[in-house]
Amino acid sequence: MGDWLHSLHHDEVLRFLCEGKLSTADALRLLRQTQPAGAAAKDKAAPPTTNPDALRQALAELNLLVGLQEVKGLVREILAFVEIQNRRRQEGLNTEPTVLHMIFKGNPGTGKTTVARILGKILHEMAVLPKGHLVEVERADLVGEYIGHTALKTREQVRKALGGILFIDEAYSLARGGEKDFGKEAIDTLVKAMEDHKNQFILILAGYRLEMEWFLQTNPGLRSRFPIHIDFVDYTLDELLQIAELFVAERQYKLSPGAKTKLLRILQKKVSDSEGNFGNARLVRNLLEKAIRQQAVRLVSLTRPTREELMLITAQDLEGRETL
Amino acid sequence: MKRCIIIGKPNAGKTLFTLNFAAYLGTTPLHVAFRQDNTTNWKTYRLDEAVQQLTSSKPHHTLGLQELIVTLPARKGAKRIQLIDTCGLVEGIPAEQDIRRAMAATLAAVRDAHLILHIIDASRVKAAGTVEALGEVDYQVAQFGQLRDGYLILANKIDLPEAKEGLDIIAREFAAHQVIPISALYQQGFKAVKQFVQRHI
Repeated sequence: MGDWLHSLHHDEVLRFLCEGKLSTADALRLLRQTQPAGAAAKDKAAPPTTNPDALRQALAELNLLVGLQEVKGLVREILAFVEIQNRRRQEGLNTEPTVLHMIFKGNPGTGKTTVARILGKILHEMAVLPKGHLVEVERADLVGEYIGHTALKTREQVRKALGGILFIDEAYSLARGGEKDFGKEAIDTLVKAMEDHKNQFILILAGYRLEMEWFLQTNPGLRSRFPIHIDFVDYTLDELLQIAELFVAERQYKLSPGAKTKLLRILQKKVSDSEGNFGNARLVRNLLEKAIRQQAVRLVSLTRPTREELMLITAQDLEGRETL
Repeated sequence: MKRCIIIGKPNAGKTLFTLNFAAYLGTTPLHVAFRQDNTTNWKTYRLDEAVQQLTSSKPHHTLGLQELIVTLPARKGAKRIQLIDTCGLVEGIPAEQDIRRAMAATLAAVRDAHLILHIIDASRVKAAGTVEALGEVDYQVAQFGQLRDGYLILANKIDLPEAKEGLDIIAREFAAHQVIPISALYQQGFKAVKQFVQRHI
């Protein structure tokens, strides 16, 4: 194939094929190499080819998350580790096997799933995972109803996750229900899958801190298979407020000073009522989504609301939400 | 609507797979749109009629694009996708103008597809010199597939005894890709294909 062929436009490639000037394989190669950026699959989430921009973007996404300092630090550690292992391999040095199975401990709404999803993208861009997608499952997706069913269901989920991350939420629930429970079978199947599909997927077990500790204690073999433990601490009130501001800004809304005070009061009350064990970021999101609807109700009766009014969320919009 | 294209060598079983897969997904009767040279004709078939009229044991029975709309259960309700059956891709430069034109149409459709199902006849992988044998075109399709939302290799005709060895070769040659053994004729392996498609739409 001459180099000039690479400057061909797609339609010309097809015409040449039609006229018998190109072989099928060459036409396919040219179509691939001259693939215009984002040509067909415009709506795909991330381009599958490794490119530094996408990596930077995924890292930026992680950095944009409010708080989570410990998590960000650990992710950087993992990235450095992967990078250095790659370089060592290039130099022909011995490399540590990259076992990246993880335990995520923390309350609901502290960002475990979000981090897992971003991690998938990052590891995909670093060529650790061929696909980097996240398969999110819970007990019901793994545990079956009769003997043998569990292994089947669990293996199916593992198969779906190959090339990406299998994220098991509330993983400790697999160990509840005692000896006769099928959850045990799910754990055994997972352990076997981790051996069978080494380096083909990453398993993340997530759940409340105390429950996860108990879970690992009751299954001593598990702990050693998960070299990375990440604690997701609850957000502070300040961080929750930051999250709220980011959330509204992304949607081109603004919080009035009154609304901020009000929101802070609601959050404070929540924290003290539930001893820190509450919806966290998810609660903030729910509150604001309600407020946005409430604002719409308030404005819809006005004949001509101004641009400013359309953007502003006032304390009134958050009013009466304390019972949530 | 997402477009899922079925491509492969001539006589790999693309049309039979498309029809049987549509039927497997509960599509009945089959409304097939035939697109050739800027014209579209619609025809409605029962599955057995469609199989009888649209498939053949000789290569290049399909010389245009044949499209079918199927519905897949999705997380919320159902999703409709377009299955596009295509003309077989041959190695080298075919002598017949009709086939060249049909292959250009196939590649144009490949370019615009979201999902690629690449069918390889597992029973003829080693049959060097025949149109079905594994060749450069298959490797190029695999590389092209990486640029798409989803790319899956279907090792077809697994019901034949010769296919066992072929499947091993396919799995080895395309180790970086997911390969699902199927029998388009007996609807074997369709569950896994359905799950793959569901995951990528």
